[in-house]
Amino acid sequence: MSDETLLRVREVTTTFDTPQGRLTAVDGVSFDLAAHESVGVVGESGSGKTVLSRTIMGLQPRRGVSVTGSVLLNGTEVVGATEEAKRELWGRQVAMVFQDPMTSLNPVVKVGRQIDEVLRVRLGMDRSAARARAIELLEMVGIPAAVTRYGAYPHSLSGGMRQRVVIAIALAGSPQLLLADEPTTGLDVTIQAQILNLLDEVQGRLGMSMILVTHDLGVVATRTTRLVVMYAGRVVETGTTRDVFARHRMPYTRALLESSPKVSNPSHTRLAAIPGRPPNLLDLPTGCAFAPRCAYATDRCTSERPVLEPADEPGHLFACFNPLPLRVGSPS
Amino acid sequence: MARYLARRLVTLVGIVIIISVGAFYLIHLLPGDPATVILGTGDSPQNRARLYAQLGLNRPIIEQYFVWMKNVLHGNLGISFISQVPVWTTIRAALPIDLEMIVLSQILSFAVAIPLAMSSAKRPDSWLDRFLGAFSFTMLSIPAFILVVVLVLVVAIKLAVPHTGVSSYVPLSQDWVTNLESMALPSIVLAIGSVTVYYRVLRSDLIATLQQEYITLARSKGISQRRILWRHALRPSSVALLGTAGVNIGGLLAGGFIVQYLLDIPGLGYTLVNSIGLSDYLVVQGIVLVVSIGVIVINFVFDFLITLVDPRIARE
Amino acid sequence: MSSSLELSELVEEATEAPDGRRLGVLFWVCVGWLALNLLAAILANVLPLPNPLTQDYNAINAGPSLHHLFGTDDLGRDIFSRVVFGSRVSIEAGLGSMVIGFGVGAPLGMLAAYRRGRFDQVLTVVMYVVLAFPAIIATIAILSFWTPRTLLKIIVVVGVAAIPLVYRVIRTATLAVATQDFVVAAKVQGASDTRILVRELLPNVAPIAVSFLLIGVATVVTLEGSLAFLGLSVAPPTPSWGNMINESRTILQLNPWLALFPSAAMCLFLLSLNFIGDRLRTHFDVTEGKL
Repeated sequence: MSDETLLRVREVTTTFDTPQGRLTAVDGVSFDLAAHESVGVVGESGSGKTVLSRTIMGLQPRRGVSVTGSVLLNGTEVVGATEEAKRELWGRQVAMVFQDPMTSLNPVVKVGRQIDEVLRVRLGMDRSAARARAIELLEMVGIPAAVTRYGAYPHSLSGGMRQRVVIAIALAGSPQLLLADEPTTGLDVTIQAQILNLLDEVQGRLGMSMILVTHDLGVVATRTTRLVVMYAGRVVETGTTRDVFARHRMPYTRALLESSPKVSNPSHTRLAAIPGRPPNLLDLPTGCAFAPRCAYATDRCTSERPVLEPADEPGHLFACFNPLPLRVGSPS
Repeated sequence: MARYLARRLVTLVGIVIIISVGAFYLIHLLPGDPATVILGTGDSPQNRARLYAQLGLNRPIIEQYFVWMKNVLHGNLGISFISQVPVWTTIRAALPIDLEMIVLSQILSFAVAIPLAMSSAKRPDSWLDRFLGAFSFTMLSIPAFILVVVLVLVVAIKLAVPHTGVSSYVPLSQDWVTNLESMALPSIVLAIGSVTVYYRVLRSDLIATLQQEYITLARSKGISQRRILWRHALRPSSVALLGTAGVNIGGLLAGGFIVQYLLDIPGLGYTLVNSIGLSDYLVVQGIVLVVSIGVIVINFVFDFLITLVDPRIARE
Repeated sequence: MSSSLELSELVEEATEAPDGRRLGVLFWVCVGWLALNLLAAILANVLPLPNPLTQDYNAINAGPSLHHLFGTDDLGRDIFSRVVFGSRVSIEAGLGSMVIGFGVGAPLGMLAAYRRGRFDQVLTVVMYVVLAFPAIIATIAILSFWTPRTLLKIIVVVGVAAIPLVYRVIRTATLAVATQDFVVAAKVQGASDTRILVRELLPNVAPIAVSFLLIGVATVVTLEGSLAFLGLSVAPPTPSWGNMINESRTILQLNPWLALFPSAAMCLFLLSLNFIGDRLRTHFDVTEGKL
């Protein structure tokens, strides 16, 4: 693995202006991503992980959003860049696999055209070369009868097939960084693993870096080298995947782990739901945002906000005043 | 798709038959003796005899319909008892003018409405969007005939634009420059009405479309905003627009009547109003039939266009 | 669900609240203007107006003055008085035909959407067939030979033509409400059909009906004006906005006032109706596609 840093995220904060006030969806997030590396961003709904992935790409809506901090992608600053400058990056340097393939493909454009648009507009290929390459991409993402499917409309494809098309679109410009934002949310459970394996495979084969955003720790366990755990827009724990699974210190991470189904569990094992609801981002508590739901919370947790502190292992950080004791033996 | 169109076609034929019945029985809906109404000022013993022979007015009413229908299918709408000219000849002379007017006004409407709707949808609530919204709303409330009066006052009289009048109307095939000059004003008047409607319909659909995830995906490809609007957003936003346009043509014909009447352009509307003035029943009946069927056919064409624009429609 | 979806919901909720509650100043200005128009039309006989048919030979095609507020026409008749009296034709035509259209179309539409089944199927097919017939052309055709032309005939013809339109709107609106839980709950509790229709459905359909009614009135007023313009409405010398504008055509250059005032009166009247209708519709959150 190369040490060359492809992506440097520093103190990124994304706020939305709503009529009810300012909403901070991502709050001071920092992490690095090396070339060819894949990182998992995990958290519950509303933890800011989707907003973070869009912020990294600079793909937020044009109005009502403000971003501070720095996102350095291959030496180019994304935060504050003009739409024109970001367009140069999109497709070629960074691409995204969207959440729901039922809504992310244009319903009135043939899938082949949606793929070769990148090839023709961004790579300047001519019509026939683009067509040939698009069919190649369709084959690469595992779509049978690619030549016929090239001329199909999205509505004639199943959800899994559509997500493969979305992946083909993302791969068309040979990006160095692939952002996969909950890429299996809208799919059948049986299809989910296929899509994740496909992403894993192409990431390795094409030597891309990947950020895999998910709420399901099971998804990232074997497919990423490092994890960023988010809660209420902040990073609450980060480290190598192995460390986060085996030696997590933040109670929230454990709650996430316990709420994720594991194949190794005997059947009918009861999943532990995280008690309470994710906090209202418009009205965050003063202290630790997880404190109201945390079994270990003390008075300090509700009055003072914990910052990320290093754990014993290199690169392992957590934000908690009452860290969990290290367990003997790993849960996964 | 083929099944969908076939089903639509069956409905179309059914409606056309119903319209033909309606147009035929129109005369019997009215109080009084049909012959007196049909003959109007041309009421004389000879004409009365000819009418009875032509329409078989002595026979049962169902039979009358089939006699009439058979004639209509042969292009025989009767001979006017006022002008003594076959009704179809009169209609055939006027019809191309209406078609030209509609085509010109629709091209103009789409050419103006689409870019305007896009510039509004790009930035909803911008000053441009607010202005266009208020302006189009106001224009929507101004009846066509008032618009015509105002435009005639301003353009035709103050600016002394030539070629607005029956004497100067020249068929397209004869001299297209003069023809277009005379058709410009009526087409613009008709277009103003359509533009406001199309703008409003397309704007609201575009705004909805631009919030779709597939637009974000298109953006993430790094293609230009122009390309996103034209290639990705316009087509899925056009379903309501085309539906509206199809229906609008019906209103357009009626609006066209007034424009023609005022600007002395010898289209169907002008002919219709004149025939009403002369109580020339057969011509009115013929025009009602032709225009009604025309509206239905245009609706069908636009329904077909919708299935081309959005392949999902035909599946539902 | 995803955080982005939740976020957008949150943002939407937040943006809707302040916008939806207020109708705005302009709305009330329009209501006031309509009320003024109605009042003037009702009280026209009592108001200190010159007779709209009296000819003042000393003032022919006169411009606005203190004596003749809006000036006079080519026969020396007072334009202001004629505009006020002329509004009666428009208002009567608009309200009259909507009484017919809603009187028949609305109950049928509600009943069809509530009952569903065969009754709904048959009625809907019939209405859609009638709707396919270009109403404007049919109206012109019928009126042109149903002589002598009176306002009542126009009201009847236009009102009947409006029935399928009203039916469609009300049926769609009722359908949306009829499937909601509170209606189902009322049914389960054994409420009578009449009670459900009147107590549960009507209050929810009424706002849509009112906004469609206003826009319908505006459409009919425009249609009556167009008919008058083609000489197919009430015969002169009865003043109506359409008649006045039609009469002004030949002397447009000589006396622009004659065209201006009835046109302005009509446009402001229509604008108010449309604006109120549109505002009510957005206020009660009905999308444009539904109408």
